[in-house]
Amino acid sequence: MQHFVLEQALNYLIDQGGVNLGALNGKVLHFALEDLALDVNFICTNNRIFVTTDATTAIDVDIKLKSSVFLALLQGEDLTELLRQDKIIIHGDVKTAQLLVDLLQQIDIDLEEVLSKYIGDIFAHQAGKLGKTFKKSKNSIEALKDELTTLLVAPSKSNLFKDKGI
Amino acid sequence: MDKTTHFGFKDVVTDDKQSLVRGVFDSVASKYDLMNDVLSFGAHRLWKRYTIASSNVKVGDKVLDLAGGTGDLAIKFRKKVGDSGQVILSDINAAMLGEGRKNLINNGVFGVEFIQLNAQNIPFADNTFDCVSIAFGLRNITDKDQALAEMHRILKPGGCLLILEFSKTDSELLKKFYDFYSFSVMPKLGGIIANDEDSYQYLAESIRKHPDQETLKTMVLDAGFSFCEYHNLSGGIVALHKGIKV
Ligand SMILES: C[S@@+](CC[C@H](N)C(=O)[O-])C[C@H]1O[C@@H](n2cnc3c(N)ncnc32)[C@H](O)[C@@H]1O
Repeated sequence: MQHFVLEQALNYLIDQGGVNLGALNGKVLHFALEDLALDVNFICTNNRIFVTTDATTAIDVDIKLKSSVFLALLQGEDLTELLRQDKIIIHGDVKTAQLLVDLLQQIDIDLEEVLSKYIGDIFAHQAGKLGKTFKKSKNSIEALKDELTTLLVAPSKSNLFKDKGI
Repeated sequence: MDKTTHFGFKDVVTDDKQSLVRGVFDSVASKYDLMNDVLSFGAHRLWKRYTIASSNVKVGDKVLDLAGGTGDLAIKFRKKVGDSGQVILSDINAAMLGEGRKNLINNGVFGVEFIQLNAQNIPFADNTFDCVSIAFGLRNITDKDQALAEMHRILKPGGCLLILEFSKTDSELLKKFYDFYSFSVMPKLGGIIANDEDSYQYLAESIRKHPDQETLKTMVLDAGFSFCEYHNLSGGIVALHKGIKV
């Protein structure tokens, strides 16, 4: 369910004009945090991003790293330096990977919070954390928070299906 | 020998299914929205909101809602795409589209276009839409593979298909309750509120005949979509399949 939150947040930023997909448009990036159950594809297409967990497709860039390294990246650590230290594995174009990292840095969601909850269900109150991010327009922030809060209450109840497509 | 297909739990001649389905929706059209609220305890509204949020539809997008009936999704899409976008509400059934038109007017929503069409033969050019949706419609379509191929054809590269449909729950407890509710309560309520027990019996049966989550995902991929994933809602009673054409 977290990838739904990520997708909403990224597209919100794109819509607000805060992020330009630019060279990422048309690329599919696989992104996995090896120590957490976070394994997603970012499909950048038609000027928007779909975040999926589906593993059936041709990937342009494959990025694998540990969550601690990811957090370091978000805090501004240099990607090439981490690559040199073998802390990140990238198959494919490193420049494209860098563009994705830049994008994720801009979200500025409390990603640590998202990651820490990744294994469990997301709860409505967590969606509230997203609000921190969207400093631009207070009304839109409130609207997005309301929307996510309402939406996430129902689907997230389904623990039974946690590993089955959510 | 004539080819057959299922109509609920009955086997019928394939060519007859469409008119039998039409009979069901001609009959339920005027009470459709009320019955939806009663039978799902209002949950269908939440499922539809989740569908819209998952669509990533933006201002200026072109959206086609197939089997759109009384227009719940079209109303929400219209707000998302704004005046520079385009939303088309389509259905094979004129009575359902008529209810849709009333519903939109009652909600003060204008600018949605209406088209009566069969989702198996969609009269639009290749690569036209940013998003195609179908809510609780696919299970009524005779040739689902053909309809999925059509949806793929009319989507632009990067376009998104959303299929909201009843599905299979893995919970034994939920399954027991749901079976009892679908076959013993739903048709009776259909009889009392809409004066049409048979149609609601068909609707309950058609849900059971519909492919499960994984089967439908395979069908979407086979239709040419590069990605498909599904999200179970309400314990898998309903699933949203999202296909992306890259
Ligand atoms: C259960 S209703 C769903 C209406 C609406 N989408 C909703 O979610 O409330 C199913 C609809 O599918 C339509 N339908 C059935 N077969 C169809 C086909 N081959 N092409 C297009 N629409 C079809 C019916 O007329 C009916 O309006």
